[in-house]
Amino acid sequence: MAGLASWGSEVSNADKSPWVAGLGLVWRRQSVLWWIFVVNFVLAAMGAVTFTRQVSPELDYSLESQALVHGFNPFVLSNLLMEQHGAAAAGMASACLVLVFFIFMLFVEGGLLEVYRLDRSLTKGEFFEASGRFFWRFVRLLIMLLIALIPVGIVYGLTTRASHLLDERSPSPVPGIWVLGIGLLVVLFLGQAVRLWFDMAQIRAVAEDERAMRRALGRAFKITFGNLGSLYWIYLRISIVAWLVMAALLWIWTRLVRPEWIGVSFLLTQLMLLDWLGTRLWQRASETLWYQRRFAEVVKEPEAAPTPPLTPVGEPETADFNI
Amino acid sequence: MLRYIAKKVRTAGFESRTSLGRAFCLRLVLLALVLAGVVAVSAGGQAGAVAGVQTQGQVTQTLSTRVVAYQIEARLDPLKKTVDATETLTYHNLTGRPLDTFPFHLYLNAFQPTSSFMREVRLYGTRGTGPESGWDTKHFGAIEVKSFEVVGQGDFTKRLELIQPDDHNLDDHTVFQVKLAKPVAPGADIVFKIAFHDQLPEVLERTGYKRNFFLVAQWFPKVGVWWHEAWNCHQFHALTEFFADFGTFDVKATVPENYIVGSTGDLVSTVLNRDHTKTVTWHAEDIHDFAWTASPDYKLIEDAWTGSAGTVQIYLLLSPGHESSVRRYIDVIKGTLDRFDKWYGPYPYDRITLVDPPQGALNAGGMEYPTLITCGTTWWMPKGLLGVELVTEHEFGHQYWYGMVATNEFEEAWMDEGINSYTEAKVMESLYGKGTSMLNLWGMRADDADSLRMEYLAAADTDPISRFAWLFMNMNAYAAITYGKTATVLLTLEGIIGEETMRRAMHTYFMRYRFTHPTGTDFIKTIEEVSGQKLDWFFQQALYGTSVLDYEVLDIRSDRLDWFFEHPPNPKKGVTTYRDTVLLHRKGDFIMPVEVLIKFDNGEQATERWDGRDRWARFSYDKKATVVSAEVDPARAVRLDKDFFNNSRTEGDDRRATRKLSVYWMFAVQFMAQVLAWLA
Repeated sequence: MAGLASWGSEVSNADKSPWVAGLGLVWRRQSVLWWIFVVNFVLAAMGAVTFTRQVSPELDYSLESQALVHGFNPFVLSNLLMEQHGAAAAGMASACLVLVFFIFMLFVEGGLLEVYRLDRSLTKGEFFEASGRFFWRFVRLLIMLLIALIPVGIVYGLTTRASHLLDERSPSPVPGIWVLGIGLLVVLFLGQAVRLWFDMAQIRAVAEDERAMRRALGRAFKITFGNLGSLYWIYLRISIVAWLVMAALLWIWTRLVRPEWIGVSFLLTQLMLLDWLGTRLWQRASETLWYQRRFAEVVKEPEAAPTPPLTPVGEPETADFNI
Repeated sequence: MLRYIAKKVRTAGFESRTSLGRAFCLRLVLLALVLAGVVAVSAGGQAGAVAGVQTQGQVTQTLSTRVVAYQIEARLDPLKKTVDATETLTYHNLTGRPLDTFPFHLYLNAFQPTSSFMREVRLYGTRGTGPESGWDTKHFGAIEVKSFEVVGQGDFTKRLELIQPDDHNLDDHTVFQVKLAKPVAPGADIVFKIAFHDQLPEVLERTGYKRNFFLVAQWFPKVGVWWHEAWNCHQFHALTEFFADFGTFDVKATVPENYIVGSTGDLVSTVLNRDHTKTVTWHAEDIHDFAWTASPDYKLIEDAWTGSAGTVQIYLLLSPGHESSVRRYIDVIKGTLDRFDKWYGPYPYDRITLVDPPQGALNAGGMEYPTLITCGTTWWMPKGLLGVELVTEHEFGHQYWYGMVATNEFEEAWMDEGINSYTEAKVMESLYGKGTSMLNLWGMRADDADSLRMEYLAAADTDPISRFAWLFMNMNAYAAITYGKTATVLLTLEGIIGEETMRRAMHTYFMRYRFTHPTGTDFIKTIEEVSGQKLDWFFQQALYGTSVLDYEVLDIRSDRLDWFFEHPPNPKKGVTTYRDTVLLHRKGDFIMPVEVLIKFDNGEQATERWDGRDRWARFSYDKKATVVSAEVDPARAVRLDKDFFNNSRTEGDDRRATRKLSVYWMFAVQFMAQVLAWLA
């Protein structure tokens, strides 16, 4: 752990590239990750409870349930869901909880970026103050993001249309397939580029306490697309790590874990989700560091006031939990 | 036809194949003819066609009663997507009465916006096309009769009358009839000479083109069937398939010389023409339809399989990019040939051609024609998803349950698709293992029989199986009942009469009715005869009714016999006596006798049989043991049961399945939430 601690320290990260330093930042401020993960977990657990309440009275007392314990037959599950009319309601409840998590994430985004900007734990008050301060700004950004994604959708539509037309008119199916494949890669790239652009707009809004979101977006556009190579490379590398870890865990889950090992399945699925969430935060942290190194004044901690001897250095005194 | 989404025409009758000496002689003759055929093909200088030979001669007995003889000469225009052809049809009047009226199918006219077919598609969809779908001119198809001559009676072109026997839609042009000046006497022949022009649609309903791929099917004027003292010639509907008489086909098709072709029947010759085309001639006997396919991109893969009736050549016409599926195609077709040969009867033709449609032509896949089937795959098809195998098996099964046992698919579709789905489940399980005959991927496992049962449950009570195909509520109901329910009914029937008896019954049915047009009654009679059981009670409910079968264990309980004592002694295992009761309930209206297995905590078991006539039944036991569980139909023989979960009840709970599903549910919700949060 000593090694990990030094690898995660600010001093050792100073010379590292943003994507490596970003990982260190996520590690140092891992409480943010855990809090978000816990909220994600709790909301999903609420959805799962709604579901299990529907199926449990029959499933727990039926011998047919053994078919689900000792394997996974999708048709057995379909039979269960078909006969459990409450399952649709449970699905709807879970969909609402998905939406709640989305709103939660939109809300805490400001606090999250503030943590990464300052690279220190925030008090609950500081964290939620930052979250609240940026919430409506980020809502406005979200609306603009959805508008910005429209052209990406149009490119997707044009790609499928072009592929379809080629499929109709070309003497070979190959050009249509290539156009579709390349088009989808372009759409993926455009989607990620737009996301990067809005990530930078959020980071800039937090760093500069920018109120005018259109101005933040315009400035972020110049920053992002003026440095697209380096920024995209950070984003892509972390995405690849996310997919590789996900694939490895999926492989273990499907190949090595026996159907009856429910606890192991639970652990692996949660690891997958942690991977997914952690790498997304890693992207945000790396982008923040990249922005600070390029465009922002070095953020210095305010001169530390005389502190009581027992308070750790660099950690402000808090009355309650830190984030 | 596959659900949604599944020859050398022998010269001698296959009865003669039972004689080893004769079979040996025939094989020698056959070998000579094969060599002659190869020489003929080589002389033609074209290796593009599927190899095959005409095996005329030595005919002592035909396999079928040959009512029709078609001679067709066709020319494909690959640019205009048209076929121009002349047809000479000789009809043998075996009806025992004079005939002065002849109806003909014009199937390709279904692909027009005003046809009954398209009306029905618009209303409730069909295979590969959803309801409310718009009209696209690329799907326009037509067959135009240019001239119609009755030999000896003159030109009848202007006297053809379009008829609509099913729905009186005057805009439907899929059937016409001609009234002759002089009737055809019983036993006499009549010859029709017809010139026609086909406009092929972009692949739709198992026919048409896609780029330079052509599947030319349902493409010629086909005479109706004199059946049950009347002409049977229905319009082409969104949910119906075909019905025709057996006979012979001599077909010549002229195509560009670089095209690889495959067809029903045997290749007789290939001749190169001066205009960079080639004319391919085929001959086929004892079949009732003829389809052919052409594409310059096919790769021909050949293999062979030997069964009880001799060697069957396997021709796979593979589309580009599908090379990874070759072994899968070959393995499943050989396995299927083997199981059908062993279980149901010999495959009497000497070839089977598998057509692998190209990218974008999946609507041409999953269809059966005599000795030619269309399959389907993609370049990415994972091994554990047995789609390639399932489609190929299913379409081959139709060689028996459509090709040879030629039932009326308009009126009794279940006898083709349903019986075939049942045999599909049996063959797939035999080839790929119980529990994994459809899916064995990423820890998920499923049987084909499971999938058919779920298909049935999707629309369990809408229509009786026996309904005319075009009268079903919609496409989903047709698929659920015709494929899923019939297969599930027959799997349940197998539970009643036993697997071995069922197999013998199916064998008898096939051997007795091959090359004829049996009805549902013939099938039922055969099952009853072989099983020695009166099964009217079952078939009346299963085939002709819509009632649903659902049994449940409503309650299990163990009451102490000394319950009324003021201070009863503490319960002691093996000492205290209980009154154990099990309460069963028949939720559905389908009545079926079932077995019930009751287990007690001292290891004892009791097996009861309940006739199911009453709505409920209670079983009671006075024992020094408590009841642990009760289960209706523990062997899962009654596949028709709508809900397997309520079939059993345990005294204690086992929460493992619930926990497992909770884990999956949570994972799905968490993952979706995180994906959506990417936008935040």
